[in-house]
Amino acid sequence: MCPKGSSVKGSLLLLLLMSSRFLFKAVESLPICPSGAVNCQVSLSDLFDRAVMLSHYIHSPSSEMFNEFDERYAQGRGFITKAINSCHTSSLSTPEDKEQAQQIRHEDLLNLVLRVLRSWSEPLYHLVTEVRSMQEAPDTILLKAMEIEEQNKRLLEGMEKIVGQVHPGDRENEVYSVWSGLPSLQMADEDTRLFAFYNLLHCLRRDSHKIDNYLKLLKCRLIHDSNC
Amino acid sequence: MPFLLKEKEANMKENVTSTTIFLLLLFLNTNLLNGQSAPGKPKIEKCRSPEKETFTCWWKPGSDGGTAANYTLFYRKEGESLTHECPDYKTGGPYSCYFNKKHTSIWMIYIIWVNATNQMGRSMSEPHYVDVTYIVEPDPPLNLTLEVKQSEDRKSYLLLKWSPPALVDVRSGWLTLQYELRLKPEKAPEWETHFAGQQTQFKIFSLYPGQKYLVEVRCKPDHGSWSQWSPENSIVIPSDIKMKDTTVWIFVAILSSVVCLIMVWTMALKGYSMITCLLPPVPGPKIKGFDTHLLEKGKSEELLSALGCQGFPPTSDREDLLVEYLEVDDSEDQQLMPTYEKDHPSQGRKPTQLDPDNDSGRGSCDSPSLLSEKCEEPRIPAPTFTIPEVNEKPDDPGTNVTHNWDPQGINFKGKNPYFNALGSKSSTWPIPQQSSNHSLRCSYHNIADICKVALGTVNGPTVSLGKEENHALNYPTTIDTGGEETTDKQNELGHFHSNVDQGTTWLLPNEKMPFMSPRPMDYVEIHKVNKDGALSLLPKQKESNGNTEQASAPDSSKEYAKVSRVMDNNILVLMQDPRAQTRVIFEESAKESPQPLQHNQAEKNLSYCTFPPGDCRLQTGNTTE
Repeated sequence: MCPKGSSVKGSLLLLLLMSSRFLFKAVESLPICPSGAVNCQVSLSDLFDRAVMLSHYIHSPSSEMFNEFDERYAQGRGFITKAINSCHTSSLSTPEDKEQAQQIRHEDLLNLVLRVLRSWSEPLYHLVTEVRSMQEAPDTILLKAMEIEEQNKRLLEGMEKIVGQVHPGDRENEVYSVWSGLPSLQMADEDTRLFAFYNLLHCLRRDSHKIDNYLKLLKCRLIHDSNC
Repeated sequence: MPFLLKEKEANMKENVTSTTIFLLLLFLNTNLLNGQSAPGKPKIEKCRSPEKETFTCWWKPGSDGGTAANYTLFYRKEGESLTHECPDYKTGGPYSCYFNKKHTSIWMIYIIWVNATNQMGRSMSEPHYVDVTYIVEPDPPLNLTLEVKQSEDRKSYLLLKWSPPALVDVRSGWLTLQYELRLKPEKAPEWETHFAGQQTQFKIFSLYPGQKYLVEVRCKPDHGSWSQWSPENSIVIPSDIKMKDTTVWIFVAILSSVVCLIMVWTMALKGYSMITCLLPPVPGPKIKGFDTHLLEKGKSEELLSALGCQGFPPTSDREDLLVEYLEVDDSEDQQLMPTYEKDHPSQGRKPTQLDPDNDSGRGSCDSPSLLSEKCEEPRIPAPTFTIPEVNEKPDDPGTNVTHNWDPQGINFKGKNPYFNALGSKSSTWPIPQQSSNHSLRCSYHNIADICKVALGTVNGPTVSLGKEENHALNYPTTIDTGGEETTDKQNELGHFHSNVDQGTTWLLPNEKMPFMSPRPMDYVEIHKVNKDGALSLLPKQKESNGNTEQASAPDSSKEYAKVSRVMDNNILVLMQDPRAQTRVIFEESAKESPQPLQHNQAEKNLSYCTFPPGDCRLQTGNTTE
C-alpha cells in the first residue's frame, strides 16, 4: 500500500518550487521546461503526474459523449453489432490484459501510447468540425469534443517530453494509424453518418481508457517502483 | 342360455380393454401436459468484473423453462471468428458463467448468448454485447477499523482506517481506487457522507462524547462503479473526552453582550441625533432660481428668463420694426419712398435689435433672429450682399440689367420673371453652408427691409436700398420651383438695385447676424446698385460668367425691375422692366410649405420674397427645365 497522500503532497510541493523558479519566464501553465532551455530538469515524476492527470481527465468526457450519443441517436439501430472490430487503432498491437501490459517493456509501452495519441489527432479535429456542422448535435457533445481535442494535444506534448527523458536516443519514426472515416462522417445518408459518429465515439472512449490505464501502469512502475 | 353368457363375457372384455386404453391414453396425455415443452427464452441479466481481470455473467431462465432445461453459454470475441463455450458455470453460482483471467480480454467486445435446451426443444437468448472495461465493480473495502485518538493539542478525534478489497491490484496501478465513508450516531436517521480520495484513512473531529457511532466505507475504481458498502462498524465515544473548547464560546458570549450594552447606552443618550444621521430628512424638489409662483401667475417670460432662456418666444415687436422700414411706393418714378430713407438712419439699430433672439427655430424666416444673428464675418469691412445663383438658364446671356456687386453678385435669368435666386425650396432665409460662397452675409434683414419697401404696391414699386459704396448685397433667397407660379409672374423680372448712396446707411446687417439655415441656397447676384439705391438682381450665373458688368442692356428681359402687383398673402410680383434699370421688384409670396433648399446648379427657380409678418423671404422661382 503506497502512501498516496504524502506522494501527492510531495509532487505538489515540487511543482510549487518549480513554478517559483520559472516565474520570470512566460510560462503559461504548470512548469514544464520551456523549449530551448538546456538544463531544465523537470522531474519525470512531475511529468507523469501531469500526464496521468490529463489522461484521466480526457476519458470522462469521452465516455459521457458516447453515452449521450447512444441514448439520443443510436437507440434501436443496432449500431453495436456493426461496431465490432472497426476502430482504426486496432491494427496497433496493444496489450489486452494485465499480464500482457506488465510484460511489455516500458519503452515499447510508451511508444505505443504515443502512437495511439498521434492516431487520434486528426480524427479529433474532424470530429469537432463535423459535430459543429451537425445542427441537431447538442452543445454538450460539441463542447466535450473540443475539450478532448485540446487536451489530447497537451497530452501528446507531455508524452513526447517523457519519451525524451526516458529513452532519448531511441526516437522512432512517427508511426501511427491513419484514420479514413471522414467520408462516412460527411455522408448524406443519415444512418451511415450516425453510425460513423457512433463508431468514432465508441473507439475514442475505448482508446482514451487504454491510454489512461497504460500511463497509470507506467507511472506506478517507473516512479513508485510498482508500489502505488 | 349359454349364448347369452358368452356375449356378456365378450362385452366385459371389450369394456376392460377400452378402459385400459383410455386410461393409458389419459396417462400419456397427462404426462405431456406436465411441463414438457420447449424452454422459454433466457435473458442475460448482468455481467460484472470485480478487478478488471475476470468477469462473470448471470442470466435468467425464460418464462416457461420448466425443469431440466439445459443452459449453455456461448461467446465470441471481437476480432475472432471462433465461438467458445463458457469455461465455468459453477463459480458464479446458478445461471452464471465465470470467465477467468485466461479467458478475459480487456478493451474488447464479447458477444455472449445462452442456449436453453430440453427434450422438447431449445431456445436462444438475445446476444449480449459486453466490454469488460466498463463493467468493473469492486468488492467493498476490508478491515475497517475505528479508533479514538488524541492529537498534540489535546483534541480528540476519531481515526478510521481500512484496506482495499482483496482482489483489486492497486500496487501496479492497474486499478486506482477512491473511497467514500459515511457515519452517523446510532439513532440518527441520516448518514453523513465524506469523500476520502485515494487515501485509506480518515480523521473525524467534533463528535459527541458518550454517543455510539456507526461507520461504513465503500470504493470505486477510476471510470467504474461504486462498490457496495462495507459491513458496518461501530464505536462508542468515551464520555470523559473533551471534544470542543467551550471557553472560547463563553468569551465570545460575554464580549457580545458587552457590545450590545454599549450600543444600547449610546442609543439612549444620543438617539435622536443618530437617527437623523442615519435617516436624513428627504428634501423637497427644488429648481435653483425657479420661482413656482411665477408658474401660478402665468408669466411665462419671467419664468423662462429665470430658466436662462433669453428672448424666447420671439416677440413680434421686431417684426413691426421691419415693417416700419419698408414701404413700397407705387408712384411712377418707382423710387423708394422717402419714408424709407428717413428710416435709414435708424436701420443701423436694427441688427442690434434683432440680435438677441434665441429662437431655436433658426433658419425660419419667421424668426427675426435669423436676420439678426446669423451673419458670418463679412469679407469686406461692410457687410456685403450676395445671392449666389443655383442654376442658370442657358439662354441667359447678357443680363445687363444690373451691375454685379461682386463676383458672386446676383444674376438674372433672362426668361424668368422672377429672381433666379437660390435653388432652395426652403421657406426660410437660407444659409448656404456648403456654398463655396463664403461671403454669405448677414443680409437677411436687408432683404426683409427691401421686401417691405416693395410691399404694398401692385405695380411698379421699386425698392431701393441705400447702401454704402461698393458693397455687394448678400442675401440668400429661397427658390420655389413651385408650379403655382402663374405665367404672370413669369413674365416679370424684378431686379433689385442697390443704391450707392453714400449718405445712406445700408440696411445690411452687421456681422453679427448669423445664418442658421443649413440648407444650401441659390442666390441672385446683385447686378448693380444704382444711384437711387436700387439693387438690380440677376440670377446667379456660373462663376465664369459672374462678371457681367454690362449694365446697359435695357432690353434684356431678365431684369426684374418692378413690382407688377401685390398678390394675396403679401406676395410681390416682380416683373421685368426693360426701361428701368434701377428697379427692383420684389414679390411677396404666400407662405409656402418649406421646401428643401437645394444648391443645385441645374435648377431654375422662381424667386419671390415673402412677407409673413416680419419675415422676408426672397424666393426665386423659374420655369423648370
